[in-house]
Amino acid sequence: MNDMRIVESAVNNTETKISARDVQVYYGANHAIKDVSVDIPDKTVTAFIGPSGCGKSTFLRCLNRMNDTIAICRVSGDITLDGENIYDPRVDPVQLRAKVGMVFQKPNPFPKSIYDNVAYGPKIHGLSRNKAGLDEIVESALRKAALWNEVKDRLQAPGTGLSGGQQQRLCIARAIATSPEVLLMDEPCSALDPIATAQVEELIDELRCQFSVVIVTHSMQQAARVSQRTAFFHLGDLVEYGETGDIFTRPKDPRTESYITGRIG
Amino acid sequence: MTANATPDMTARKGSLLVQDKRTTKRNATEARFKACGLGAIAIGVVALVILVTSILGNGLSAFKQTYIRLSIELPEPKLDKSGVRDLEVMKKVTTIGYAALLKKAMVDAVENNGITVDGLKLKDVDDLISKEAPATLRNLVLGNPALVGTTITLDVLASGRIDGYFKDRVNLQSAARDSKITPQQLILADALKAKGLLEIRLNPDFITAPDASDQRPEAAGLGVAILGSAYMMIVVLVLALPIGVAASVYLEEFAPKNRWTDVIEVNISNLAAVPSIVFGILGLAIFINFAGLRASAPIVGGLVLTLMTLPTIIISTRAALKAVPPSIRDAALGVGASRMQSVAHHVLPLAAPGILTGTIIGLAQALGETAPLLLIGMVAFVREYPAAWSAKDGLFGEPSTALPVQVYNWTQRADPAFFERASGAIIVLLVFLLAMNAVAIILRRRFERRW
Repeated sequence: MNDMRIVESAVNNTETKISARDVQVYYGANHAIKDVSVDIPDKTVTAFIGPSGCGKSTFLRCLNRMNDTIAICRVSGDITLDGENIYDPRVDPVQLRAKVGMVFQKPNPFPKSIYDNVAYGPKIHGLSRNKAGLDEIVESALRKAALWNEVKDRLQAPGTGLSGGQQQRLCIARAIATSPEVLLMDEPCSALDPIATAQVEELIDELRCQFSVVIVTHSMQQAARVSQRTAFFHLGDLVEYGETGDIFTRPKDPRTESYITGRIG
Repeated sequence: MTANATPDMTARKGSLLVQDKRTTKRNATEARFKACGLGAIAIGVVALVILVTSILGNGLSAFKQTYIRLSIELPEPKLDKSGVRDLEVMKKVTTIGYAALLKKAMVDAVENNGITVDGLKLKDVDDLISKEAPATLRNLVLGNPALVGTTITLDVLASGRIDGYFKDRVNLQSAARDSKITPQQLILADALKAKGLLEIRLNPDFITAPDASDQRPEAAGLGVAILGSAYMMIVVLVLALPIGVAASVYLEEFAPKNRWTDVIEVNISNLAAVPSIVFGILGLAIFINFAGLRASAPIVGGLVLTLMTLPTIIISTRAALKAVPPSIRDAALGVGASRMQSVAHHVLPLAAPGILTGTIIGLAQALGETAPLLLIGMVAFVREYPAAWSAKDGLFGEPSTALPVQVYNWTQRADPAFFERASGAIIVLLVFLLAMNAVAIILRRRFERRW
């Protein structure tokens, strides 16, 4: 497994990757996200925490315009990726999603082989001209997702036949195979057992050297373990955003303190 | 409060080995419900068994036919006045000329075998032979002129009454009241059978031959009906499947949810419930009267059945698309697939078994449909095979008929022999339907994937 270890580097990146200003999201008449402004730095793990229904997943889905698929959802405000407004009418969401990958709450591999699962993204984006190049991308993605050693002998086996943790890592491999710049993770460990969770968390820590990772989580411990920055959402408001250590040890807002001490949530 | 609670407590404290009143009652209800369910299934099974046995009992004999083996002289002076086998000259000899040859052959067969039947006149012996036989013989000779001048041995169809006699449809008493047959002729048939000149064997012509007139049920076949039905199914498949799938994919995956799509959805559901004869009137008005297509043509039948099948296909395709978990669409969009790619690469393959099953069930429904075809003239009496391509009427444009219409047609005719034919046609129709359903099941098994 040595080939998988990526030298951990202290992350002191202050370069902003995604910047959101006054974002409002409505589901029909329901005002789901109110005035959220956030700067997400590059090559950092940013965690969104908060009680159920506080809008953290909704906000995450704004970042790669997955909310476009919901007819009644309306987004206003500015979200920029590297300074470009992603809600500009000239932006094709398909191109955006190639740059901003996403891993979902429930492992959702395609009912195809492991190889095809990972190769699908590179294929539709034309990242490789030949089979050898594609093989290379698949192998490197599976290695990064710490799954290569477990599946290298059965790449043609169906992806749905893997265990839950393996499936989620396969989904992560699938997301990183398109070489995104940002990886969004919507509660990636909620369907996993503690061992698989630990594996995925380790993986997230390794991935932050290459991408900016944004993770939504219910578990405050998880946020504390994997993230460098944490944003606390409550009832559609961004209550507090800062260094993870500060949020958990010296929360400024009383609501944050109530949540992390378990009084609301 | 405690006074109220106490009886309850004692009631529940009874032994586990003795059922209390409530449990007994509940169990009795359950037993009654199970009995009702079993009864319902039993009624269904009994109905099915009665249906199948009655159809098989009436119809299986249609696949067998009575033949008479005759040695037929084909004298040149009568069949070929030119003497050089000129087909144009030979065609001037009509079936009446050939009937005379058959009659002579029949008389010879009776005399040479020393068969004598009291009261039978020799001039009546040819009534045993089907009226179709002279035409068969003529076609044989015209197809192979070298036969002229020789004596051939040929199995010719026996008449419908003789065939019925060996299938217990006709007996000596009924023959005595029958203008088409006499008891003496039946006795002669028995004698011929004893000599081995008359036999009952499998009749492939029932599947391949075209329909025959009222006078000759023994020669009627399903060939044109099967071909017409096949042509119509091709038209339905080629039109209804792509249109239906495209419509449902658009409605399910792309269309905005607004009042217009609601109206369209409701109308599709309503169309599925429209009586099929209404589609027949529509087809008559649009395809025949307005577009000027030929009546009785498989293309018109196919178009009408397409209209009828479309709602079925759309509804089942939409159900299949709905059954694909949304997480698959999210996954595809999440790696940057466009909506079209997500549908084409992931959703449609997963929905394929459902779509195929729906399509085949729709086709099976169309195959058995009679009412709309009556209105567009498919009920016609068709003696000729339709051509796959004709210069005048194009592809599938020549008159033909269809299996269920052929059944309807035959049950209308006077001769009881046609009743047997109709039951046989129903067996063929059922075999086709079963085969299609089997294909649906096989496809479903093969394409079904778990996720």
